[in-house]
Amino acid sequence: MNRALILIGIALANAARGIRRASTTSLLAVLTIAVVLVLVGSAWLLVGNMASLLDEFGAELGMTAYLDPALSEASQRELVARVSQEDDVATATLVTKEEALLRFEKIAGSGDLLSGLEENPLPPALEIRLVPAARTEAGVERVEAVLADLPGVTELAHGQEWIEGYARAIALVRGIALGLGTVLGLAALLIVANTIRLAIYARRDELDILALVGASRTFVRVPFLLEGTIQGLLGGLLALFLVFATFSLLQSQLEYGLELVLGRAGLAFFTKGQSIALVAAGAGLGLLGSITALVGWKGTS
Amino acid sequence: MRRRMTSAPGESPVRLYHVSKSYMAGQFALQDVSLEIRRGEFVFLTGASGAGKTTLLELIFAAEQPSEGQIVVLGRNVARLGARAIPALRRRVGVVFQDFKLLEDRTVEENVRLALDVIGTPRREARNRVFSMLKSVGLQHRRFHHPRSLSGGEQQRVALARALVNEPEILLADEPTGNLDPELTLEIMDLIAAAATRGTTVVVATHDHSLIERYGKRWLRLEGGRIAEDLPATAGVERGAAR
Ligand SMILES: Nc1ncnc2c1ncn2[C@@H]1O[C@H](COP(=O)(O)OP(=O)(O)O)[C@@H](O)[C@H]1O
Ligand SMILES: [Mg+2]
Repeated sequence: MNRALILIGIALANAARGIRRASTTSLLAVLTIAVVLVLVGSAWLLVGNMASLLDEFGAELGMTAYLDPALSEASQRELVARVSQEDDVATATLVTKEEALLRFEKIAGSGDLLSGLEENPLPPALEIRLVPAARTEAGVERVEAVLADLPGVTELAHGQEWIEGYARAIALVRGIALGLGTVLGLAALLIVANTIRLAIYARRDELDILALVGASRTFVRVPFLLEGTIQGLLGGLLALFLVFATFSLLQSQLEYGLELVLGRAGLAFFTKGQSIALVAAGAGLGLLGSITALVGWKGTS
Repeated sequence: MRRRMTSAPGESPVRLYHVSKSYMAGQFALQDVSLEIRRGEFVFLTGASGAGKTTLLELIFAAEQPSEGQIVVLGRNVARLGARAIPALRRRVGVVFQDFKLLEDRTVEENVRLALDVIGTPRREARNRVFSMLKSVGLQHRRFHHPRSLSGGEQQRVALARALVNEPEILLADEPTGNLDPELTLEIMDLIAAAATRGTTVVVATHDHSLIERYGKRWLRLEGGRIAEDLPATAGVERGAAR
């Protein structure tokens, strides 16, 4: 058997022993990390779902450029090609006078409304969808500027303004989550650090003896790092479970509410990768906490 | 075998050159101590409380650094050892204390195995070595007990087993029998003496002059941090008896 593997096994056994010996303080560290990650995880989930709703609506956020009815078909096609070249533009589709009329009749239910007119009054139009990155005020303005300069464009119309406000709300929640996460994460880190410091203090006899029999610095320290990491891992798993349980409980009600307000729902939980990231964040917090505890520790002679 | 390479065969494993140790300015725990202990030699270290016995042993296993002078242990200059080299040296030096220093939450076997764990000895090999070590101190039947349930003499035998299981080249004992009654004292001292006959260099600090008479080994007497007497093995018997 490989010597390093044996040493890792011994370190794990020592870490497990340490957690068992200080089960109360270890539990406290696990719970602290769990609470922090539940808060941060919930905020993350909220932001994620808000953002995907925005994407869903944002996909429909397009612009319509009405064209001069006198424009020849060739010029119209030229315009489509020109606008499609823009980086901010995902697609540009031409809606001819005839197509516009068909659509109108479909929406209105009959052709009666316009049948009194001799001529089709609807202008041809360019329907433009923006790439996701351009679905902002600035993006819209950029495309507007391009369109305004094009000959043959008579009028511009664009999507709902509220989407801008919504995007700002997401940014705000994201910012709050980030700030909260940083502060709470720091607090959790210090609590883990303290747990490990207590563990070091409680086990100083053992550490003295280890030093006497020739344990290396690594041999003495790694179990404490593992101890913190395991606490963080458990805290992360607990948080994931709690967020998942809460989400499952509330999902149908929330989706019902959204359905009423927005006409659509579909809330998503974390992806597998995000779930792993949450648990890993816990483990990382635990590891950082124990590193913090060990940094100031000179060790035994 | 790496350990054989660092000190030449003829070289004494413990050498001190004008070593002083001062914990507080102007006060010396050890003063100008020069000393050489040969391979396989058995040395008794005596002196009143505060004479510097523990300090001398601590310097030898690099728990303390000398304030002045040079200490060469197993070919390594202790004063110049880096943080990494100290553990390496300690694996070649077994240490026993008056208070045993056993871990209460581990079995006898686990306590002894500690010295093998730190060097990553495979489990099965470690178990076998611990078993035969415990057998040689007569405690194999106690291996799954906890130290608390053992008598003082048994606990010290466990500590001795832990110190010897790694086959150290040097064994240091700081008043190992200070807590034991005379019968158990001899039991422990016989085991320590047996280690010396197998080639381990042994230094035992003790208050007990009857041991010096009985074993007739080299005798170093410290007084106020200085070597007051250094008597060779056979003479040790006479002088010890004379006191
Ligand atoms: N860590 C220490 N800090 C300060 N003084 C110490 C320390 N260790 C020992 N001393 C002092 O050094 C002297 C020698 O102590 P020690 O080596 O323990 O003697 P012994 O073991 O012979 O009783 C004593 O005066 C003691 O007070
Ligand atoms: Mg002493």
